[in-house]
Amino acid sequence: MFASLTKYRHAFLLGLQSNLVYRANFAVRGFFSLFHLTVVFILWGAAYAGSPSIGGFSFGQTLTYFLVMLVMQFFVGAFNEDYQISEEIRNGLINQFLLKPINYFLYRFSIFVAARLVTGVLILLPLLVAVPLLHDYLTLPHDLWRIALGVPAMALSAVIQFSIAYCFGMLTFWFLDIQGFVILSMAVESILGGQMFPLDLLPAGVFRVAQFLPFYYQTYFPVAILTGRIHDIAVVWQGLGIQLGWVLLLLGLNQILWTRGLRRHTAVGG
Amino acid sequence: MTHYLQIWLASARYSVTRTLMFRFDFFLWATVELFWMSVNLLLISVIYAHTTSIAGWTKYEMLLLVGTSLLVQRFLMGFFWSSIFEMGRNIRSGHFDYFLAQPGNILFMASTRKVDLDGLANSLVAMGVVAYAAHKLGLHPSAWDLVAYALMIVCGLAIHYSMLVLSISLAFWITSAQGMEGIYFTLSEFSRLPREAFKGLASLAFVWLLPVVVVSNAPARTLLHGIEPRWVLALVAAASLWLSAAIFVFNRGLKRYSSASS
Repeated sequence: MFASLTKYRHAFLLGLQSNLVYRANFAVRGFFSLFHLTVVFILWGAAYAGSPSIGGFSFGQTLTYFLVMLVMQFFVGAFNEDYQISEEIRNGLINQFLLKPINYFLYRFSIFVAARLVTGVLILLPLLVAVPLLHDYLTLPHDLWRIALGVPAMALSAVIQFSIAYCFGMLTFWFLDIQGFVILSMAVESILGGQMFPLDLLPAGVFRVAQFLPFYYQTYFPVAILTGRIHDIAVVWQGLGIQLGWVLLLLGLNQILWTRGLRRHTAVGG
Repeated sequence: MTHYLQIWLASARYSVTRTLMFRFDFFLWATVELFWMSVNLLLISVIYAHTTSIAGWTKYEMLLLVGTSLLVQRFLMGFFWSSIFEMGRNIRSGHFDYFLAQPGNILFMASTRKVDLDGLANSLVAMGVVAYAAHKLGLHPSAWDLVAYALMIVCGLAIHYSMLVLSISLAFWITSAQGMEGIYFTLSEFSRLPREAFKGLASLAFVWLLPVVVVSNAPARTLLHGIEPRWVLALVAAASLWLSAAIFVFNRGLKRYSSASS
């Protein structure tokens, strides 16, 4: 058990080092995300000018929702893990893992955790600029249970996001180029994950259906707990149950795709 | 001029043949673009389910604006995106040498090499969105309004093209930087917002310094309120200025290009 942990600790440290090399790229990305926040501020500010409350929430609450989502994504979002995995399969780099006592999923997950640690810390820099500017608008609820349940929801959201990226990476066993699938999925995720607008603004029936899909739990759910868009603690517990269900289902799917994909894999060269 | 038209037609013919060979790719990418357009339209639809106006623009006026913005972007995707995206990669890898040896203007040769039929197919969808919004608003634009609208779309395309070339040209200076095209996508988000929503510093930055807002607002206003010479002139001037800047920066960058080791 301990030896196994040491193995993935090394993968984590390796990931930390290689991601620190790209710190400038991540910092630029973090800076540009402020432009996205500006678009959100202008669009929703103009929408709120005509009505003080949208879907029962004030402009400040909606702005806080988008800011928390942006920051959370730098801590738990899958950025380009799908492409990295795809590249390793295409180039035959996974061959080395087939001969070693190392689980490829856990190896990639350790690197993913390291990468999010780097990007998570780096987003704090542009945040230092954004928070003082938006301070008057931001409004976070202070209930402790929101943090106590929101943080585990964030951790499960990280596993869901990584697992979806891993699944897309695995598609490389069947398709030469996965970019089209990834960008298509990003469009679906941006809507059903609540990145374009808070999901609770959808018509009640559609919102209810969305609550049973994995996208709801990959971004909207933890942010909604932390920013007070979910009022009822019982709904949060129920959500955590469904989220855990999706985690298990996706982990199973990852394993199936890996096993079946390897049957098609041809390791060439040395 | 005819020489360049012939070159472009040859490239377009090659692209069509290629698309027919990879039909699955065509359908996949056309669906990808259609989905992303739907994301933007859905956002508008959801916001207007809870409010009646965004900066004085009604739902269908906003739909006309977003449709116009998407139309310019689809044309960019169809005519230039793949070529300019590859240009950045080629500059970094040293494969750009291939274009230096071609008989024509380097920027033209490098940025018009491929035509993406999926982008062009979706430009029809964007036109459909504009036509639907105009129909819902009961608009009856004159022939001159439509000519002015088309001219402004071309100017908008020139501005988007210039912004993309400028972002990609950074590769001449910062060879290690990747994903510079992301800058373009971030900036293009502003073009789906009405001019009236921008106040203070944001107005200075995104309306006057970067013409991302004018690109979509000027043609949309032409359909809504008829030709406004002030907006036409602003757009033509911005297009000329940005195209000149892009050509200048690209040529300066080209002087720094030193091929690459293998």
